[in-house]
Amino acid sequence: MGRYCLKRVLGTIPLMLVISFIIFMFVHMIPGDPARIMAGKDATLEEINRTRQTLGLDQPLLNQYFMYLNRMFHGDLGTSTTTGQSVAEMIGPRFQPTFTLAGCALVWSLIIGVLLGVFSAVMRGKWEDYIGMLIAISGISIPVFWLGLVLIQIFSVQLGWLPTGGLDSIQSYILPSLSLGVGVMAVMARFSRSSMLENMREDYVRTARAKGQKESMVVLKHAFRNSLIEVVTVAGLQIGGLLAGSILVETVFTIPGMGRLLVDSIKFRDYPVIEAELLLFSLQFVVINLIVDLLYGVLNPKIRYES
Amino acid sequence: MKIRKKVGAIVSLALVTAMLFSACGSGSTASGSQAQSAAAASTAAKSKDNDMVIAMSESVLSLDPHNLTSTMSISANRSMYECLLTFDKDMKNIVPQLAKSYTVSDDGLVYTFTLQTGVKFTDGTDFNSEAVKANIDRCMDEKNNLKSRRYFAKVKEVKCPDANTVQITLKEPYSVFINKMTNFGIISPKAIKDGVKLNSVAVGTGPYKLKEWDQADHLIVTRNDNYWGTKPGVDSITFKVVPEAGSRIAMLQTGEADMIYPIPPEQIKTIDGTKDIKVESVPSNIVYYVTLNMSHKPFNDVKVRQAMNYAIDKDAFVKAVYGGYGDHATSPMASTTQYYSKQEEYAFNIEKAKELLKEAGYPDGFKTTIWSDNTSDSVKGMQFINQQLAQVGITAEVVPMEGATLNAKINEAKNAAESKIDMWYVNWSPSSGDADGALRSLFYSQMIPPANANTAYYSNPAVDKLLDQGLSETKPDKLTSVYAEAQKTIWNDAPWLFLGQPVVQYGIKNYVSNVYMMADGSIDCAQATLAH
Repeated sequence: MGRYCLKRVLGTIPLMLVISFIIFMFVHMIPGDPARIMAGKDATLEEINRTRQTLGLDQPLLNQYFMYLNRMFHGDLGTSTTTGQSVAEMIGPRFQPTFTLAGCALVWSLIIGVLLGVFSAVMRGKWEDYIGMLIAISGISIPVFWLGLVLIQIFSVQLGWLPTGGLDSIQSYILPSLSLGVGVMAVMARFSRSSMLENMREDYVRTARAKGQKESMVVLKHAFRNSLIEVVTVAGLQIGGLLAGSILVETVFTIPGMGRLLVDSIKFRDYPVIEAELLLFSLQFVVINLIVDLLYGVLNPKIRYES
Repeated sequence: MKIRKKVGAIVSLALVTAMLFSACGSGSTASGSQAQSAAAASTAAKSKDNDMVIAMSESVLSLDPHNLTSTMSISANRSMYECLLTFDKDMKNIVPQLAKSYTVSDDGLVYTFTLQTGVKFTDGTDFNSEAVKANIDRCMDEKNNLKSRRYFAKVKEVKCPDANTVQITLKEPYSVFINKMTNFGIISPKAIKDGVKLNSVAVGTGPYKLKEWDQADHLIVTRNDNYWGTKPGVDSITFKVVPEAGSRIAMLQTGEADMIYPIPPEQIKTIDGTKDIKVESVPSNIVYYVTLNMSHKPFNDVKVRQAMNYAIDKDAFVKAVYGGYGDHATSPMASTTQYYSKQEEYAFNIEKAKELLKEAGYPDGFKTTIWSDNTSDSVKGMQFINQQLAQVGITAEVVPMEGATLNAKINEAKNAAESKIDMWYVNWSPSSGDADGALRSLFYSQMIPPANANTAYYSNPAVDKLLDQGLSETKPDKLTSVYAEAQKTIWNDAPWLFLGQPVVQYGIKNYVSNVYMMADGSIDCAQATLAH
């Protein structure tokens, strides 16, 4: 198990290097000129060129990449071209809200989603199953943006129970994490239902039942445990979706998180900020996948022994 | 068969639930707001505290008054910094601020400012002529690469004859210099000398001082109790960034915000007059137009350009794009701009348009493209233009692009021959309210991309000469006639489709007083007061 973990962890280093190269090149190749945006609409060509020099954008692209890499290894993420603040200073405070929000959304949606899926599978074909899957389908179909605005209208404007946005109190996390998690909850419910149904048809379930084991034990200990591998894979992928969703949710609920910063920095072609953010998002994704891989090992002994 | 039945059952259940849900939603909205407005009518509206919150769509990008581009940064800056001169509420007249008065020599070269006395910066430093000089020196220093540097490009020398007098001598006349002084905040000379990070720290003489700035989220300023003028009524102002319009409106409804800007026209009717809210508007200095690339066929023919102007129903434009809240464009610059002169409109007339197109050799119209950014408002505007032009046989393919991409595409052409742009749906507002700022970047022959925004590739030596004359003249009556002539020539040459001029609209609680929006979309909250 130790070697399996080590191999997985070391494998992420070259991966991150390749990712950093791709990010850098993509960001610099999208059309748009940060120098022109920064210099403002009345700027003369001379002013624009001076700004370009100050930003180091007149250098060949590969040089810029190596400078960027060099800075990164020294722990310097660069300076924002829009605000002149250091990128680390800008991203630092944005990280926590996005992370907490995604965490809250993930916890409730995983628990409710999986419960709903297992419940629907057990009640297959009965009205409880239909209700469960109706909730799931609605969850997938409702746009996050729209749901957020509807929730604000009902719970903030009409009822006055919760704030419209910001992150000043624990209450203010409720509506955003609700909007953010709905999609994940729905996907988890659908997947755990189908995976449970598959497993319930397996021979070992029949054997367990034939042994006279209680139905609840059959479902939870045998069928559910085996469904978990698929559930964990899908959950890992959903976290990527959560980060994408956070861009919309942070905009609707006025949360100063990573998602909103990304949108703003793309608008201004603030290269250092975009690069740092994308790199962080990728890192999060890589780490999550690593955790999923390691969890496989825990859940299925076959996987860890084979490697 | 069984599966299909099941699916059918699920779909119909979903539809019924959705309908119930939406019915409940709208029902409660109506009754809720009626109840609230009835309650508001019986008691005078009061704020729960003495702190004002302004929710706005864009973030403040910099606190450095010499390096501002966005309007929101200007609004926030004006709460903490003051300039030698400023505009009055209507942005029509220039009035004193840190300068008591000023004189200009007859040759337009020497500007003498007499300064206010007894003014201090928030760090305790005295405001005097040396402070003004230190600020001008800072801007003029090429190494600092500040946006305000261009205001002083024609300055020869700055003298301080005494503590309360500043004398600025120019190399050549520059009539808009005075306008530029309304956009030049004065920083404490001590802060400049000490190398304070002025893009995130503010040390000015304004009615408020900086408390806290979180770039992506909010800026809080508190009352400056040592302010030399009339102190504001509120304890603090929070400029909160709320990019989503629906969320801004919800904040105004719940009282989390006391003022919101901007406000989409289609939402005005639903909130105006409810829950202590009123929607106010002032004429803007923004003009909406479409540039026609005159270096391309068929736009090189003035008859084609005029025909296209006749083919557009401006009333319908104002309704479609501004929700009815605005006016026709009656000059290449907005009516609130200095030296504006009203032109005779290209009144909507399809027959005349067709006739002109026929004379120009395009009886069946032609195909072209129209570019703009990809915001829903711009797409709506472009589609409107396309529909209008279709009436005379012109097909303008609508091409929305992400803002910075569009910008890059326009500026990749090094000259008129390389230009790919046909039509550009866009708007413009002059940052210091002057005619030169409203016309030069858009019509001066040397301002074609990539130099600046003359995407009509308009080149008329007569207009170039008039614009240069505008800078060298000093007498207002002469300036009036120079700029009137320039506007008339441009109008008749029709390098644009002249469309409209919107109003600046904002939502505000009834209990707020002395807060105004200016024609350029900036907020004046120097004397803000809340009834509480």
